[in-house]
Amino acid sequence: MKRFLRDNGLGLAFGLLCLVTLVGQAFAGNADLNNRRLTDGGDPIGFWQYVMSSDFAVDVAENWQSEYLQFFLFIFATVWLMQRGSPESKPADRMGAESDKDQLLGAHVKEQSPPWAKAGGWRTALYSNSLGLVMLGLFVGSWLTQSIAGRSAYNNDQLNTFQDPVTWWDYVLSADFWNRSLQNWQSEFLAIGSMVVLSVYLRQRGSPESKPVGTPHNSTDETG
Amino acid sequence: MRRYRPAMIRFRWLPAVALPALLVVGGCGTGSDDLVRRTAEEFTAAVASGDVERACGLLTERAREDVECESLDVPGGTVRAVEVWGDAAQVHTSDDVLFLRELASGWRVAGAGCESQGERPYTCEVGGP
Repeated sequence: MKRFLRDNGLGLAFGLLCLVTLVGQAFAGNADLNNRRLTDGGDPIGFWQYVMSSDFAVDVAENWQSEYLQFFLFIFATVWLMQRGSPESKPADRMGAESDKDQLLGAHVKEQSPPWAKAGGWRTALYSNSLGLVMLGLFVGSWLTQSIAGRSAYNNDQLNTFQDPVTWWDYVLSADFWNRSLQNWQSEFLAIGSMVVLSVYLRQRGSPESKPVGTPHNSTDETG
Repeated sequence: MRRYRPAMIRFRWLPAVALPALLVVGGCGTGSDDLVRRTAEEFTAAVASGDVERACGLLTERAREDVECESLDVPGGTVRAVEVWGDAAQVHTSDDVLFLRELASGWRVAGAGCESQGERPYTCEVGGP
């Protein structure tokens, strides 16, 4: 058990943080919605009713989709783009998909290699892109969820302000949908860009997201 | 929200569990159409029969504030279409557009005798924005 906790500390810690903050968001969001409902003549709703509402779903989904978009783009972009001196980047001589030797594929697979890495053909091709594709799938799923829940929450606002509800197509072309999406995307791209560039010049001793403290600024592809 | 996470986070099981749940939540309907229809039909029937007291009793408190029940005069009509989103609903009748709100006491009419103003909110003879 102790060993399991040590070996999975990072995943468990962030999983727990996600749950704790999600619960916090649910309480804060419920209170915020109830304030607005009282202001516009409605009645407050309970915690579980709020957790099952489109208001909560859209607020969660709009953040999730942007996180997965960020990972998907970062995973694919780092195959082809570099940032000299950043631990998030490969050096110039390894740009691209790399050789089978570098990737331990074909004649270079090891006994412990994943089965689909050893299988060859379409399975190895698919497995070679599985991380990025899963991130892409999670992004598309979250974004779709945002559009469905967002339309529901938007239509509720429309009716409460005596306006006509809109179709799903109208909603995905609406200012509300794109404002929610773009405000999250820009912050993700800012965070990625900041991390890539700041990690050239700044260090965090012991973190694999940083180069070793004494590493020169122009040294790429080193983690400490 | 909107914080950088290290590129190789390992808890990919979390969204696999939570996302389908979110999809269900995001996609589920309201199931309140019948209750809304019943309230709207009760309201239009009361209007048609001249039972202004009953009709007024089906208004939200806010809608009642700016109407004199004795002189309540809205088109009414037969309910044709109901659309419910959360705690709000719109009902098209043969002669009118109604807006309803779900309160602790049930569905109530928040606007009646409403006319579309295009991109702007409807204007209503009773209640309204």
